[in-house]
Amino acid sequence: MTRRIRIPVLGGARVYVLHRPHPTLQALDRQLRAIGLDVVQCWPELPAEALSGDFVFFDADQGYDAQFPWPTGQSPMPMIALIGSEAPGRIEWSLETGAHAQLLKPVGDGGAYSALLIARIAFEARQSLSAEIADLRRRLDERQTVVRAVTLLAARGKSESEAYDQLRQMAMAWRVSFEDGARRVVASHDAQGGANDRSDLG
Amino acid sequence: MKERIELGLLYSRSGSYSLISEACRSGVLGAIAKINADPDMPLSFVAVERDPQGNADAYGPLCEEILNQSSARHVIGCVTSWSRKEVIPTLERAGGTLWYTIPYEGFEASDHVVYTHACPNQHLLPLLGWAFARLGRRGYLMGSNYIWGWEMNRLAREVISGAGGEVLGERYLPLGALEIERLIAEIRATRPDFVLNNLIGPSQYAFLEAYHRLGQEDAHFRPETCPILSCNLTECELPAIHPDAAEGLVAAGPYFRGVQGWPDGGQNFGSSHEAAAYSAVHRLARLLSGHAGAARESLSQLLAHAPGGSEGIDLATHHTQLPVLIAQVENGAFVPRERFAPVAGDPYLAHGREAILQGASSLRVVS
Repeated sequence: MTRRIRIPVLGGARVYVLHRPHPTLQALDRQLRAIGLDVVQCWPELPAEALSGDFVFFDADQGYDAQFPWPTGQSPMPMIALIGSEAPGRIEWSLETGAHAQLLKPVGDGGAYSALLIARIAFEARQSLSAEIADLRRRLDERQTVVRAVTLLAARGKSESEAYDQLRQMAMAWRVSFEDGARRVVASHDAQGGANDRSDLG
Repeated sequence: MKERIELGLLYSRSGSYSLISEACRSGVLGAIAKINADPDMPLSFVAVERDPQGNADAYGPLCEEILNQSSARHVIGCVTSWSRKEVIPTLERAGGTLWYTIPYEGFEASDHVVYTHACPNQHLLPLLGWAFARLGRRGYLMGSNYIWGWEMNRLAREVISGAGGEVLGERYLPLGALEIERLIAEIRATRPDFVLNNLIGPSQYAFLEAYHRLGQEDAHFRPETCPILSCNLTECELPAIHPDAAEGLVAAGPYFRGVQGWPDGGQNFGSSHEAAAYSAVHRLARLLSGHAGAARESLSQLLAHAPGGSEGIDLATHHTQLPVLIAQVENGAFVPRERFAPVAGDPYLAHGREAILQGASSLRVVS
């Protein structure tokens, strides 16, 4: 199913432009202000306030890791690379740095608006994928707990698939995830002193 | 002795939107005549004219021809957004400026264009606010198949959904197409509260006549209960529309015939297209007056250096402040129904999409 992407309102957003003073920044600055953004230029480092910024443009030509106050590639906002030299090493660095979009230098009459939108939407997609992956990973880690819970329930005289259904119904009744339900079953069993599953199985 | 300054004109005098071109052109020529005859004005304009004949691909080359073969640095013209986007790369290369005098869909702020007619916060948002308050929030959207219709309807869809309304249909016709039966059938089936019309030229004229016939068959589809709303319809196109079909059409714009207040001077214009073109040439004349070398400056230099200031042209967006009127055709003429306070053009809607909707009741001045 395709989802309609909603174009975000950018007015009032704060943009940090991490680039040494240069004439090409005038064209970028003009575009960003016309779009209604607050622009802060800085070099060579991002100030602490940048952590609460909405976008960062950074220089892919002369940039380096230590400029950013967050672990490499984990910016808390969308990042746009300003690329002059298309040297492969610099492109590689800008990707590692976490560029969500790029704008070629010299900056002309356009390009900033589409770069902002693409960066924002790519950033949001990456954020929601990361959250989904973390959740799946957590559930994967609970596999053993689920097996134990189903085994415990089955030990009371149910078939494996009946035990599985029962666990799902318990989780629904408790309004928790399947894995959290399994953890409760196991914890309750452990608390009742039945540390040895084998005795139940026996 | 007046300084003679060449001014490019790039209007299509034939093709599907020539009525709009002619309205703009007469505004330009009227302004040139007035400026040339004004002894207090230190300059006179000489028109350098090219006619793209409604062919979008001809605009870029003809604009280049004006900038290369004459001394003109400023070109006034283009009607469709498509043609405007075609000339921008040429303007950028040659350092020229386009004066664009047509309502458009926003989301543009070229360093080489001055936008002297309305953008969505000056037409679409107040028009939808007006419709929501009087008719309802269930709309049918349609347009000609190019950027104006696409973007206007995209924004309308967002605003309608954001206000808890419903979009009952969205349809596009190729430029110049006359096959409107499908549109009429969908509108008849969905019975919206209003129809947002972003068709242009002959498609629009044919649709309006067919919709009028629909209204004769079914009373819901009459202006009182389900009017057609437009953001670019002005008096200049009324001659192409059957008088019965034009009756009750609702349009938003900065000017309607006979309304005072804009542009300055208390003069009467045939339409807002003519008024915006007339006003653009006057702004340009004042920007070029009174400092040496002005005729060769880029737009950004001109706006920064002009002794009289930037003539109301916003330095960041190159848009202007305009009155906002909602008018309805009554006995063959647009009659203002509502007038909002003048509002600055906000092409990227940096101040939000709902601003005018929320302010609608407090700003209302019934005329």
